Amino acid sequence: MTYAEIIKIIAGLSGSLCFGILFNMHGKKLYASAFGGLMASVLSLIMETPVADEPVRYFMISAIISLYSEIIARILKTPATPVITTSLIPLIPGGSLYYTMSYAFESDFNMFVGKASSTLKLASALALGIILVTTVFRVVTANQCVQRKSIQHNKS
Amino acid sequence: MNKLLDSVMDLGEQMLINGGEVHRVEDSLKRIFSAYNAERTDVFIITSSMVVTVHDKDGNSYTQTRRITDTGTDFEKLHRLNELSRKICSERLSAEEIKTELDKIPCCLKYPLWLEFLCYALISGIFTLSVGGGIAETVVSFLSGVLIRLVILACDKSINSKIFAKFISAFLASAVAYIAFGIDLVPAVDRIIIGNIMTLVPGIGITNALRDLLVGDSMAGLLRTIEAVITALAITAGYFAVVFLTGGAQL
Repeated sequence: MTYAEIIKIIAGLSGSLCFGILFNMHGKKLYASAFGGLMASVLSLIMETPVADEPVRYFMISAIISLYSEIIARILKTPATPVITTSLIPLIPGGSLYYTMSYAFESDFNMFVGKASSTLKLASALALGIILVTTVFRVVTANQCVQRKSIQHNKS
Repeated sequence: MNKLLDSVMDLGEQMLINGGEVHRVEDSLKRIFSAYNAERTDVFIITSSMVVTVHDKDGNSYTQTRRITDTGTDFEKLHRLNELSRKICSERLSAEEIKTELDKIPCCLKYPLWLEFLCYALISGIFTLSVGGGIAETVVSFLSGVLIRLVILACDKSINSKIFAKFISAFLASAVAYIAFGIDLVPAVDRIIIGNIMTLVPGIGITNALRDLLVGDSMAGLLRTIEAVITALAITAGYFAVVFLTGGAQL
């Protein structure tokens, strides 16, 4: 592991931890989100070579992290969205957004369009990954509720 | 029923204010009213307004609306509100009980202010480091993180406009970066700014906006998208106002 890689992993961990604190998360939820951030940054390092296409990679990581968050949220009995949001902090395309606006400012429109579309692709990949997992979970839990309700009906 | 509707609306309002998604709030409200044997519940929520009509079994209908002006992110509160909404569903609390439970929530756990300063500083420092910044760049970025929090605090107390607060903090942070560059403390400004940007960027906003849109909450999604785009523009304007002032020198 190189120095840069270690720094990236630490950044992922502490970025998620700090944002978790700013979002006023406490206890196990905070640790779970920080661990999610760690996972996200480790995954993005591991998958850099096997999955060369950046949006595809982001999509896969965001799906994995969402899956992890949904499971943790079920265990801790808390909404999943906060955990997902905080865990995915290391993947947020901040640098890419900066370059997009700096090209816009320099009136370099070819570069601007390229950067803007790649930023948008990354953000959509993240969103799609989250949706894929949360929708599946929602269908599963909705069924559970229906079952529970029918049980209650039978009792009464 | 009217009182019940009132307290449940309070609950929904608090959820929205503290960062609950539109979908979650709509879902919770529908579930709560179906637990109270409502014939039909119509819920329409966007990020800035709620309209709820409940029809009971006797054919009466009750409607209330709420205007939501404040938004923030407080996941501890959201967690408790969510717990409360489950409790309401399972135990069918009365309107007064819901009110007292709601009143208990605001005084829950909070982090001290200095920790928030530290977090802003750490976030911007560590992201500068991770995009390849040197020690000097990291230190400058760390300090401007503190500055950003300070500006946001000052703006909260005085003008109460999030977008303007972001503009000012972006402006000052990039001024600091350019000053450090001007006195040859750092080799370039871009890494410092990328670090700072992480504390301001509407990245979460954009991701959530896309998510709302793709799930089918088009109105909420559009509102969030516009908010995120305007925030991004404000930050851009802040950063590049400095470049203008320094004569558009080196980027």
